[in-house]
Amino acid sequence: MNSFWIHIIHQAIFGGIASAGFGILFNCPPRIILYCMGSGAMALAIRTACQSANLNLPESSFFAALAVATAERVLQPFQQTRGSIIALVGSIPMVPGRTTAKGLTNFFELLQARPGEEIAAATNGMRNLLEVILTLAAIGTALAIPQLIYPEKQAE
Amino acid sequence: MRSNGIPESGSRLGSPCAAGPSLSDVARLSLSIGRLLMEFGESARMINEEIAALAHRLGCDSAEVYCQHAAIIVTLRRGEEFCVQMGKVGEHGVNLRGLEAVRDLARRVSHGGLDYSAAQTELDNTPGTTSSYPVWLVCLCTGLACSAFGRLLGADWLAFFPVLVGSAAGQWIRRAMLVRKKNLFITTGVVSFVSALLAGVGARLAGSSRLEIAMASAVLLLVPGVAVLNIQTDVIEGKPNLAAARGLRVIYILLFMTLGLIAAQRLILQGI
Repeated sequence: MNSFWIHIIHQAIFGGIASAGFGILFNCPPRIILYCMGSGAMALAIRTACQSANLNLPESSFFAALAVATAERVLQPFQQTRGSIIALVGSIPMVPGRTTAKGLTNFFELLQARPGEEIAAATNGMRNLLEVILTLAAIGTALAIPQLIYPEKQAE
Repeated sequence: MRSNGIPESGSRLGSPCAAGPSLSDVARLSLSIGRLLMEFGESARMINEEIAALAHRLGCDSAEVYCQHAAIIVTLRRGEEFCVQMGKVGEHGVNLRGLEAVRDLARRVSHGGLDYSAAQTELDNTPGTTSSYPVWLVCLCTGLACSAFGRLLGADWLAFFPVLVGSAAGQWIRRAMLVRKKNLFITTGVVSFVSALLAGVGARLAGSSRLEIAMASAVLLLVPGVAVLNIQTDVIEGKPNLAAARGLRVIYILLFMTLGLIAAQRLILQGI
């Protein structure tokens, strides 16, 4: 097995663990924790594969979130849970929390930057926050698309 | 003002109908459902759909729902009568089992399996009766999730356990402070500082070479992921006011999280 697949499997395993952990934190019903884990694993595997194909973070996150949201929508008739809990929890590991913190940290550093360092700090901060905004927009849009195209029917 | 804190406004409030609950009662029930759904982390569209479906099944011709961050307004119409009610919304959080319980209750009311007063009583008790995981399990799983995040971000194995301990302790502190009704933003700052500090000290003692990633991973439990995704959904589905209010709150949470993280990093990373 080459390093590409090892990396994908690694990301999928830890994406699944992160999703399941957040599922417990969000008080997910126990019967869907495994689905959440699968959803997170699938999302991270697809995102990693897309990034390996030279797509950037927002693009990769978009395709990964779209895949889990579509899968959930297709499997909806076989589930008891309405709404998009599984896709939502599965997408949580893709929320770029660290990049957000890094972007804000860069802005704080801007306050203490020596002459000549300001531009680098400002550019880094802007780039991080732009990446965060685009990634979040991509995930949110991708999660909404299946529901908008094929809305759920109210239970009779 | 009603006893449950739901102020009542409007005109020509519905008179009791022989076939079912009065319009006022339907509005009160709808508000209670909407309030709980919002407090449990639902998007505005789903709240609108749930309330509209319930109101239609209880005989209303139309149901308009206006969701704001701190309040919900419901306007119901049945024949010639109409009713407008507004209810306050409490602290927004995420409770997926709570969401499921409220949706299930709405479905039972719609299908006639539960009468209005029993449903209202059950709804009022929902926050207390919804089952949840033991605190130790939530803390452990939160720690595990943050450690997994650390691995995804490139932290080494030496930092895995310190991150787990730091974020599990942070989750325990967060819960303890929120139960005591401490300010959410102060709580976020404190939890961020403690989690990052514990993870940083632990990772340093363990000999990890990725201290910065370890410390950042330990505070990721504070990133309001569901709220962030709800903002996106609300914007896309034409609810910019609610999205803006949620967004401002998220920005402040992230700001306090970063302040806590920076303070801890100043202590741990100085001199490296």
